[in-house]
Amino acid sequence: MDLIQLLLNGLSLGAVYALFALGYTLVFSVLGVINFSHGAVFTLGAYFTYLLIGGQAGANGLLAGLQLPFALPFALALPLAGLASALVALLIERVAFRPLRRRGADSLLALISSLGAGVILVNLIQLLMGAESYAIPIGTLGALPAALSLGGAQVRTVQVLLLAISVLLLVVLSVWLEGSRSGKALQAVSEDPVTAQLLGIDSDAMIRLAFGISGFLAGVSGGLVGLSVSIAGPYFGISYGLKALGVLVLGGLGSVPGAMLGGLIIGLAEAFVPAAWSGWKDAVAYGFLFLILVLRPQGLLGKPQATKV
Amino acid sequence: MSAGLLQQMLIGALLGLSVYLPLRCGQLSLATPGFFAIGGTVAALLSTRIPAFAGTGATSPLPALLLEMGLGGLLAALLAWAIGGTVLRLRGIYLAIATIALVEILRVITLNLPFTGGALGIFGIPQPFATASGYAGFTLVLLALVCWLCARLEQLRLGRAMAAIRDDELAATCVGIDTAAVKLNAFVLSALLAGLTGALAAHFLNSWNAKVGSFDASITTLAFVVFGGSRTWLGPVIGGLVLTALPELLRPVGDLRLIVFGLVILLGPVLFPQGLITPQALQGLGHGLVGLGQQLRGYGHQLLERANGPRRP
Repeated sequence: MDLIQLLLNGLSLGAVYALFALGYTLVFSVLGVINFSHGAVFTLGAYFTYLLIGGQAGANGLLAGLQLPFALPFALALPLAGLASALVALLIERVAFRPLRRRGADSLLALISSLGAGVILVNLIQLLMGAESYAIPIGTLGALPAALSLGGAQVRTVQVLLLAISVLLLVVLSVWLEGSRSGKALQAVSEDPVTAQLLGIDSDAMIRLAFGISGFLAGVSGGLVGLSVSIAGPYFGISYGLKALGVLVLGGLGSVPGAMLGGLIIGLAEAFVPAAWSGWKDAVAYGFLFLILVLRPQGLLGKPQATKV
Repeated sequence: MSAGLLQQMLIGALLGLSVYLPLRCGQLSLATPGFFAIGGTVAALLSTRIPAFAGTGATSPLPALLLEMGLGGLLAALLAWAIGGTVLRLRGIYLAIATIALVEILRVITLNLPFTGGALGIFGIPQPFATASGYAGFTLVLLALVCWLCARLEQLRLGRAMAAIRDDELAATCVGIDTAAVKLNAFVLSALLAGLTGALAAHFLNSWNAKVGSFDASITTLAFVVFGGSRTWLGPVIGGLVLTALPELLRPVGDLRLIVFGLVILLGPVLFPQGLITPQALQGLGHGLVGLGQQLRGYGHQLLERANGPRRP
């Protein structure tokens, strides 16, 4: 395969991982917990996108043959699917996280309850839409050609689009976090929720905000992956979710630029695994993860945490 | 309840105990399914490749099973010992993620090795027991033995050191506990238990593939402990038995059963943050039983008095 196509594959895959990992990071930085329902929200985003562009539900679910009365263009369906996923993420926060936070319970418990929420979502999707795979047709992009010519090489338009949208979202998010009042408030909460509260920041609202944005990012990346490689059934978010965990730790838990750097490294590394070794591709992310945890547990860009007595 | 389901429940209880051991010293390790997969792969390879392990009769010889369980457990324990030193330096969520990565790496290796049967796995593993009840009987004895050992462990120096580390690692260091060694011991014991359980499960399931040790399994086994409670050995046993049976018992609700299972995992921690079985609950139950006993004895006396008539002065 062409070097440019390979590079683009790696970059776009990495960008999706980064989006995914950012969703984890936002929640982790304010609550100190990994939200294990994140992969399920990603899957949900892909299905929402599929339905919003006018896709028809398959024959095996309860919704067999269902089709929305309208068919939106992809450019409109994707953000809407993101918003719907954000609402679901807020619901998960309400049901699986808030009751435990109110009681000051061990954060390990939220890990389990969020996983329960993920199990429910995935099986709900399976019940409603069946276990079959769905493809988002390329025609939904309108007049865009299927392939572009870039520096003499033919590359898939979808990959370029995937990369462009992901980078745009990453930039917007970074600018918002560093430059805006609410972004700084979120950072303050992640630094110390009690002090932030004393300074007049509504910590609960910030936590909800983190969940909302994280759900939006998950939904949008789900839709993008659905467009680029098809939706491989209700469980397809889980493997992305696990690899994004690797990205997260590689970059440093709770570090936004770290999540981007980690996504880039793992995406490129996976893309450059030779085809003959493709069976070992999945081990790349976990291998990196394991190595970094042993060599530099705080991640590439994370700050070492001092143990408090 | 069929003997097959009982066998699965018993295996669930053994895996629950395997997750419980590191958790007793506050170490959240999700590596149990990886070690479980190693044990099963060892048993599957030995019993399908080496004629002596398969035997000549209708059932494969029992000593072969015991040997496979020993070897599977030993290999898992060796791996745990080799990586434990570095991995156990990590704390909390980092350790959890590292062990998830370990399970996934082991899964990819099993999937790609030339002799483990790829995605389909290894089939036709010989049966040491002719019936599911045979398996269940054997596993029940094994579980009872492991429970007894765990109960003993909680009384021993090592078990108490584990609890001390869970409550306050710094304080434990200050009173002279070698925390690194204690944590490593717990991790190796956990791997040993998961490995030998895997060898047994491979025979029972008759086929073995890489899917056995997956992220899903990590979380399910963790749910056993969180649901049952991690303060005493009885918690993970009850959690393993109940949560393994639950999806089967929910079969009447059909497609909804996994959704209901998810609800249980979601609501369990919210409603019972300490798990179902806590030492306090056991103590309460104990007091209740003693009280009940005293009450029964009182009734007994009354009955006797009525039967014998009033006592003579």
